[in-house]
Amino acid sequence: MLEINDIHVTYGRLRALKGVSLSVRQGEIVCLIGPNGAGKSTTLAAVAGGVVPHRGTIVLDGKPLAAGRPEQTARLGLSLVPEGRHVFGTLTVAENLRVATYMRRDRAAVAADYERVLNLFPRLKERIGSPGGRLSGGEQQMLVIARALLTRPRLLLVDEPSLGLAPKIVDQVYEILLAARKAEGLTLLINEQSSHRILKHADRVYVIRNGHIRLHDDAAKLADGEAIKRAYFGFGDEPAAADEPEEEAA
Amino acid sequence: MIGLLQNLVDAASLGSLYALAALGVGLLFGILRLVNFAHGDFISIGAYALIVPSFEVTAQLFIGTWSWWLMIPTITLIVVIVALISDALVFRPLRRASAPTLMIASFAVSYVIQTGILLVYGARPKAANLWAGLDTPLMVGDVRVPLLQVITIVATLVLMAALTLFLKRTRYGTMMRAAAEDFRMAQYLGVRGDFVIGLAFAISGVLATAVSLLYLSQTGTLSPTMGVPLALFAFVATVIGGMGSLLGAVVGGFVVGVVVIMLQAYLPADLRAFRDAFAFTFVILILLVRPSGIIRTRALVERV
Ligand SMILES: Nc1ncnc2c1ncn2[C@@H]1O[C@H](COP(=O)(O)OP(=O)(O)O)[C@@H](O)[C@H]1O
Ligand SMILES: [Mg+2]
Repeated sequence: MLEINDIHVTYGRLRALKGVSLSVRQGEIVCLIGPNGAGKSTTLAAVAGGVVPHRGTIVLDGKPLAAGRPEQTARLGLSLVPEGRHVFGTLTVAENLRVATYMRRDRAAVAADYERVLNLFPRLKERIGSPGGRLSGGEQQMLVIARALLTRPRLLLVDEPSLGLAPKIVDQVYEILLAARKAEGLTLLINEQSSHRILKHADRVYVIRNGHIRLHDDAAKLADGEAIKRAYFGFGDEPAAADEPEEEAA
Repeated sequence: MIGLLQNLVDAASLGSLYALAALGVGLLFGILRLVNFAHGDFISIGAYALIVPSFEVTAQLFIGTWSWWLMIPTITLIVVIVALISDALVFRPLRRASAPTLMIASFAVSYVIQTGILLVYGARPKAANLWAGLDTPLMVGDVRVPLLQVITIVATLVLMAALTLFLKRTRYGTMMRAAAEDFRMAQYLGVRGDFVIGLAFAISGVLATAVSLLYLSQTGTLSPTMGVPLALFAFVATVIGGMGSLLGAVVGGFVVGVVVIMLQAYLPADLRAFRDAFAFTFVILILLVRPSGIIRTRALVERV
């Protein structure tokens, strides 16, 4: 359902993505893992329209996405939960959730979705009138996921859902994501820095480092973690040319 | 004592105008990070739209002679259209530009509007008598309160309440608050950035119109640069109030009003000419104590 073909992104003179290709099929859980600064967030932001690739195409359901049009992309059934939990801190939990429904035309379905999503997140129901900024980190992560679900996405992109959360909370976040996937028939593309938690849930895994995809395979074939480790840290079997310095001019 | 009360009424009325102007500036800053120097010129447009275009020194009212229920919406519409056109022609192409670039663009808009007024109406200040009946004083005890000042204060309170209700109770208001806090995230959730920004320009046009009408009926004079000092004091108000907070803009507006009126009243006569220098010194002092303004927040509207 999603095809990323050879996208290149630069920030000023820094080349963040140097030709990334990746695909996600309907119903899959695909995980993009890589060290800090590898280009994971940039990849997801490019798909969601938040950064504009200067080369390459992104195709959703057979149609090319207009680059740099996040409002448009959101309307096509693709939702991004960005890194770092962008809760609207001064809006209440209810208002945070409602913002996500304003673009929708199916008013009747919105009311039903709102109830259903809140039932997935009982903790949010309890805090429905609190400002988003007062929630704990775990609750905020729940809120941004619930909020993204209310845009009624078919493809959900989640950027490092476990960032800065205690392991127990991370487990809860993943439980919710998997439950939501089942309930909503979602396709998931998830970024993580480490593979150990995601490997058992993912169908396929991509490893990105320094703006290049270094490895991509079925999760089952990577279960021992050795190949991932090599790709992740850049040991061994790769061409040396792939490790050029990041600062070279675009 | 009477003198002090009298001065406080004057301060509240002048502070109202600054607060309204500061709200218009603060709203655009909150959404777009635009410091809009053209806001003062939106105010001038609202005043000039009332009169017949000519180079005469005494302005002849045209729309200004209509009854208020027709005149106010018409003038509002004109100013809102000017605000929306400036957005469409100048600021929309600069959506990805930095805050300083936007500010410089707003100088250009300001200059274009002033030149336009100059070409159509001439450079000389004009006298105009809008709502002449409103300077009859009301006596509250021994304090003489011109009706116009009461209307100014009431109109300001009504507009502030309406804006607050709009921002807190409506879907468009909620979109604006979300966008003010995290514009990109709001877009990821499907909020149309251009729409929200257009709305902010339109509202700042409405607020500018209110200042145009109230200010013109108080001063009775038009000039192509009449909006400039208002915009300047509005910036000062938003800065000392705390950039990005609408409550801050209002508080800042009233603080500036009080400072200016009190300096006017209590400075020794031969220093009064330097009133604004003293006012700005006071502002610098406030900022030394609270560098990020009186209200520090990323929220357009505070919760109470
Ligand atoms: N807004 C930005 N401006 C400049 N450089 C950025 C920006 N965002 C990311 N980068 C740089 O781009 C590279 C990739 O970043 P990112 O996509 O955030 O990686 P990851 O999510 O894998 O940690 C890094 O070197 C990072 O410093
Ligand atoms: Mg990242």
